Amino acid sequence: MQLFFQQIIEGLSSGAIYAALALALVMIYRATRIVNFAQGEMGTFTVYLAWQLDQWGVPFAFSLIVAGALSFVLGILVFRLTIRPVLSASESTIVNICIGLFIGFEALSLWIWGADTHPFPRLFSDRIWTFWGVRLSASNVGTLATLCVLAAGLILMFRFTRIGLAMRASAAEREKSPLVGIEVETMLMLGWGLAAVFGFIAAVLVAPSLFLSPPMMVAVVIYALAAATLGGWDSPAGAIVGGLLIGVAESLGATYLRFIGSELKVGIPFALMAVVLLVRPQGLFGRTAVIRV
Amino acid sequence: MSRIEPDRALRIVGALALALGLIAVPAVFPDFRVYQLSVALTYAIAILGLNLLMGFNGQISVAQGVFFAVGAYTSAILMTRYGVDYLATLPAAVMAAAVLGLAVGVPALRWQGLPLAFITFGLAVLVPPLALKLEPITKGATGISLVKPSAPEWFPGSQDTFLYVLCLAGCGLCVLVARRLLRGNTGRALRAVRDNGLIAESLGISPAAVRLAAFTISAGFAGFGGGLFAVVNGFVSPESFQMTKSFDFLVGSIVGGITSISGAFIGALFVVFLPDWSADLSLAAAGLVYGVVLVVMMLLARDGVIGRLDALVKWAARASSHRARSRQVSGEELDARSVGRQYSK
Repeated sequence: MQLFFQQIIEGLSSGAIYAALALALVMIYRATRIVNFAQGEMGTFTVYLAWQLDQWGVPFAFSLIVAGALSFVLGILVFRLTIRPVLSASESTIVNICIGLFIGFEALSLWIWGADTHPFPRLFSDRIWTFWGVRLSASNVGTLATLCVLAAGLILMFRFTRIGLAMRASAAEREKSPLVGIEVETMLMLGWGLAAVFGFIAAVLVAPSLFLSPPMMVAVVIYALAAATLGGWDSPAGAIVGGLLIGVAESLGATYLRFIGSELKVGIPFALMAVVLLVRPQGLFGRTAVIRV
Repeated sequence: MSRIEPDRALRIVGALALALGLIAVPAVFPDFRVYQLSVALTYAIAILGLNLLMGFNGQISVAQGVFFAVGAYTSAILMTRYGVDYLATLPAAVMAAAVLGLAVGVPALRWQGLPLAFITFGLAVLVPPLALKLEPITKGATGISLVKPSAPEWFPGSQDTFLYVLCLAGCGLCVLVARRLLRGNTGRALRAVRDNGLIAESLGISPAAVRLAAFTISAGFAGFGGGLFAVVNGFVSPESFQMTKSFDFLVGSIVGGITSISGAFIGALFVVFLPDWSADLSLAAAGLVYGVVLVVMMLLARDGVIGRLDALVKWAARASSHRARSRQVSGEELDARSVGRQYSK
């Protein structure tokens, strides 16, 4: 039973990371109906930037802030240069561009920093509390707290600020929003920038345990895709719940299903995704798409 | 059309030149290059399948490498474990890949669009570790070595030349099948579903069924290419079928031009020889080029190399006939394909 609860805690903690990346994907999807496959690889790239700054002697906290800001700019640049020109093109065109970004960013990290893995400093202390035999580490708590802060920040922004309202409006009615004076394009750029920051944060949280390497986020992207599918692509709350559920399912599955083990963990989100698409394609919290003919 | 138009004539000449060039290859190049070209031909088959799916049916798959791997493993296992003749393993490779395609397509294709991209992306990530894990069947990381078939006595060339000719024959078969599929009702159904699913449905075509069929057939093509690859390469291991293989096929398809048959061959040559040349510079160079090429082609030349060549040929033909017709009132139809509305500023 201890093992069971231990696995749930580990699952929630890694689930928080998947949820953060899933939030980034959902944010972009709501605004532009695009699924950015490259979000994870962009995150890896910016975490490498933070690591590089740290190596050059910049204080760790400061290098995180600088890299976070750079990832915001990167998100905007990627949107402006590669997505904006084809915003009205077919779905497969955009998927191809995102796959191109995925390959390109991974290769760029590989080119600049090589294939060797690097240890990445822990964000949280290595304290561990034990309750009834179940170990709760500061890093578990810190990861979940980070997710809570991100979610709260998003809710506050979208509910209570003008920019948040304008972003929601331009996501819901891209064609009508300019009529009431909303700069839709700026809002889309903001959305892509914010999503890139979320991807960066997810990558920062992953890096200490997986070690920094160019393909670090490949599997995490699958988890995030599954989380967003499970939660429903138009629901940020769904992305969070989906991420946590996927994390727990992964952790329990890897422990109790012998065939899965640690090598095939990525099969769990894949299987969940397939089941959701078969049974409830709009996800737990999503609305069914109605197409007017 | 009774009259042969200049661009059509040029295209026929181009195809003939390509065919002659392909046949002349073994006489000119050393055995290693011939082997590489054979591998490129097996890739071209998988890319051709992807073109059918992506270019003519408007779906996207990031898992063509997975079906390729399934075909390769099927052939390799049948040859080594059950002693089946290599030619007889190829239909089995096609079947195995097609069945997997069908199984994957059912959950992915009920709802149009992105789900297929997710599922195939996941599949591309999942299958390499799965091939390692299924050690009793796939022999894990060691891989399966098989004896390459030697050239029959009547064949006047080396083993590599023989395998090259085998691949060429395989490609010829696939091109014929693809051309047949694209002609007539099947071709019209494929394109109708791509261009407008609703209209297709109102004409009595079931978009879901057509998509599933296209996905299955495309997987079958990849399986055939994979089976040939196992025969030509003589060795199959998870190392050959990393996630990047699926990306290779995607890049090849787009570079050549997704709505063309000959483009598949250009794309295959690109993804076989580019990493070979760029490895001296950096191992990451090929990936970077792929990424940039994908993005730039999507932005500037969505119809690939063949599409650009086509446009060039058409432009030249129009320029030459323009002078002759300049005094006549031409009854050309209005071409209004890229007219659209835009609301945002």
